Amino acid sequence: MTETRSTARRIGLTVAALGAAIVLSSCATDAPQDTWQPEGQYAQEIHDLQWWVFAIAGAVGVIVFAVVIFVVFKFRDRGQPIPEQSHGNALIECSFIALPAVLLAVIAIPTVGLVIDLNDTDDADCVINVTGQQWWWEYDYPIDANGDICGFTPSVEAAPIVTSGQMVIPTQAKVVIRGTSRDVIHSFWVPKLNGKRDMVPGRVHTWNFQATQPGIFAGQCAEFCGLSHANMRMEIVALDDADFQAWIDNQLEPYESPEEGTLAAAGEATFAAQCARCHQIDGLTDTEGELIIAQPENFVWSGAAPNLTNLMTRNTFAGATWDLLTPACRDDVWEADPDEFGAKYLEGVTADCLNEVELKEWLRDAPAMKPMYADPELLEATDDKTRGMPNLNLSEDQINELVAYLLERK
Amino acid sequence: MFTTGSKLLIGSAAASAVFAVVYGVAQGGALGTIGLISAAVALAGLAGLNVFVRDSNVSAMDHDAFESSAAAQATARPSLWPLLVAIGATSLTLGLVTTSAFFVVGLIVIIAGAIEWMLQGWSERASADRAYNADARDLMADPLELPVAGAIAAAVVVYSFSRVMLGLPSKSATVVAFSVAAALVLAIGAFIGIKRGVSKVSLTGAFSIGAIALIGAGTFAGLNGERDIEPHHSTAYIAEENECGVEETEADEKASQTVASKSNVAAELTFDGSTLTADATGFDGDFDALTLPRSNPSNVIFRNESDHHARLVIEMHPAVVDGELSGPERLCTALVDEGGAQLLTIVFDRPSIAVEDGYEFIVAGSDATLEVVVP
Repeated sequence: MTETRSTARRIGLTVAALGAAIVLSSCATDAPQDTWQPEGQYAQEIHDLQWWVFAIAGAVGVIVFAVVIFVVFKFRDRGQPIPEQSHGNALIECSFIALPAVLLAVIAIPTVGLVIDLNDTDDADCVINVTGQQWWWEYDYPIDANGDICGFTPSVEAAPIVTSGQMVIPTQAKVVIRGTSRDVIHSFWVPKLNGKRDMVPGRVHTWNFQATQPGIFAGQCAEFCGLSHANMRMEIVALDDADFQAWIDNQLEPYESPEEGTLAAAGEATFAAQCARCHQIDGLTDTEGELIIAQPENFVWSGAAPNLTNLMTRNTFAGATWDLLTPACRDDVWEADPDEFGAKYLEGVTADCLNEVELKEWLRDAPAMKPMYADPELLEATDDKTRGMPNLNLSEDQINELVAYLLERK
Repeated sequence: MFTTGSKLLIGSAAASAVFAVVYGVAQGGALGTIGLISAAVALAGLAGLNVFVRDSNVSAMDHDAFESSAAAQATARPSLWPLLVAIGATSLTLGLVTTSAFFVVGLIVIIAGAIEWMLQGWSERASADRAYNADARDLMADPLELPVAGAIAAAVVVYSFSRVMLGLPSKSATVVAFSVAAALVLAIGAFIGIKRGVSKVSLTGAFSIGAIALIGAGTFAGLNGERDIEPHHSTAYIAEENECGVEETEADEKASQTVASKSNVAAELTFDGSTLTADATGFDGDFDALTLPRSNPSNVIFRNESDHHARLVIEMHPAVVDGELSGPERLCTALVDEGGAQLLTIVFDRPSIAVEDGYEFIVAGSDATLEVVVP
C-alpha cells in the first residue's frame, strides 16, 4: 500500500511539474511571435477581444474537465447497478442548449464586429503588393497616383521597389497589403501586428498592418505549403518617417558596379554568369552593356526568385530563415531602443557584421540547408524547374567572389 | 483480468514499440521511428485509460452476462459479403498488372464489401433477438446504403441520357428527343396521379421497362459514338489570329457578358467611352496606371460603361526563347456589350524594364489606354 501511494505521488509530482512548465512558458517575454504581446493597432484589437474569450473558454473547459473527472471517479465500475438516467429531462436538456447558445452569442457579436473592422482597407497610407511562393515572400511597392511610394516622395525618379524577406513599413501608418501567391496557398502571419491572411493563387487578398513604434516583427507562413513550410518566414520592419524616406531613397539609388580589379568585380561577373538567370539585380548589365533581365520563369516552378538589388540592406536571406548579420550584430539591431532602431537598421550589413559562414554555406549547397525540390534527377513533374534554389556547384573561389560582390549590394 | 479492448490496445502499443525498434535499426529513419514511438506512447496511454475504466463496460464484472449477453448467442449466419470482398481482391490484383480501372473497381468493392460484412457481423451479435438485430443493421446501414444507391442510380440515368443526347445526329434532334422524353414522363406521372388504383406491380414494371430502355439506348449510343461537334472559336483564337479589333467575330457572338468572379481580382478596369481607369483592390480611387506582378496570373475585370461595344486588348511582348515566343503576343477579351463585363487573365513573363514601350491596356478602336507596371 505504501509503495502504491509513493508511486502515485511521484506520478502526481511529474504531472504537476509538466503542467507548471507549460503554464510558466506562457510568461516568456522574449517571444517574437507571441500573439499576447501586440505591438500594433490591429493586433491590439485582437488581443483586447481574445483575452476575455479565452477566459470564458477556459472557464468552460475547466468546468467540463472537472465534471468529467468527477464522473469518471465517482461512477467508476465497482459492480454496482447502472445509475438512474436523466434522458428526457426537459430542464436539463434545454439548459444545455440555451447556455452554450448564449455564450456563443456573447462572443459572436464583438467578434463579427472586429472581423469587419480588421478587413476595412479604406484610407490606407501605404499599399504594398505581397506575393508568396515556395518558400519566401516578395514585396513590391507600387507607385501611387501622385507618383509617391507609400505616400513618400522619392528624392530620385520613382520606380517600383522589389524586395523580399523583410517588408519595411512606415511606423504609425495604415499599411494595406495586396497579397497573392504564385504556386500554392500560403498564409501571411506576423502575430505582433495582426492575425493571419491566406494568400491564394489567382486572388488578391488584402490585410492591414500598423506598427506603433519602430522595430522588427517576426512572422511565418501559417498555411502548410510544402517541404520547407517551416522555413518560410517573414519580418516586418517599422521605421519612423525620416528613416523610411531614407530607406526608399536608398532602394532607388542607381546601380554601381564594383571597382575594377577587386574581388567584388570578379563576383559581379560570376553573378552575371551563374545567378542572374534567376535573381534580378536592377541595373546590372552584361559585357555589351545590355541590361540583364532575370528569367526565373524558365528555371523555377513558381516563376520567381528574390530580387537581390539591395540584399545587404536586409538582415535576412533564404526566406528570412537565416540572418545576414552575426548574432551579436543582430541582437544590436533587434534590441535597439525605438529611437535608435532606424539608424541601426539602415546601416545594413557591414563587412564586420556579415554572417559569412551561413551565407557561404548557402551558396555552397542551398538544398542542404533548406529542404527544397532541386535535385535535377527528380524534376520531371515540374518540367525540370526547381522549387527553390538548386546546388550550383560553385567553387570556393566563386563563392568568395560572390560574397564580396553581394556585400556591396546596399 | 484484462478486458478485450484493453488487450487490443496493449498489444497494439507493444507492436508499435517493437516496430519502432525494428524500423529504427533497419531503416535508420528518424521520422518513421518518431512516428511509431509516438503511436506506441499514445496507444499505451489509451490502454492505461481503458484498463482503468474496463472498456466502459459495466457488465465486465457481471458473470451472468457471460451466458446472457449477445456475444454468448448463436454465431453469425452465413454471409455473401466475403465472396464480394474476394472478387474485389481479385479485381484489385488484376488491376495491378492490367489497367487502373480494375484496381479502382476492386478497391471500391473491397471497401463496400468490408463495410457491409462488418455491419452484418456486428448487427447479428447486437442482441439475442434477431428481429431487433435486423432493425439495428438497417438503422446503421440505411444512411450509408440509400444515398450511395441513389447516387449510383442517378449517375446511370444521367450518363445514359447524356450518351443518347450526344449520339443523336443534330442539335435539333436532341431538342425533339428531350421534349418527347419530358412529355412521356409528364404523361405517365399525370396518369399515375389521376388513376390512384395503379398496382405496385404495374408501377414496378413500367419503371423497369423505362430504366431498361434508357440504359439500353445509352449503351447503344455510347458504343455508336458521339456526333461531330464543331468547335467554336475562343478569345485565345482571335488573339492568336490578331482579330482583337472592333469587328465582331464568331467568338464574340455567344460570349458571356457577365463575370462570375466578382471579388478578389487584381483590378477592375472601366471604360466610359473615352478613358480607361483602374480600381485596384486595396487602393482608394481610380488610377491611370496599374502595377501587376510578374510570372503570376492576374485577373482583371473589364467593364464597358460606354454606349457601344468595346474590347480590352494588351500586347504581351513575350520573350523569344530558343527562337520561339514564350507566350501569346497579345490577349483580349471578347467584344463587351454596353454595360457588360468580361474577365481577362494575364501572365507577364518579363518586367516592364525589359519591354521597350512598356505594357498598356488599350480599348480597341479608341484612344483609351492604361499603363501597366510590372516590377
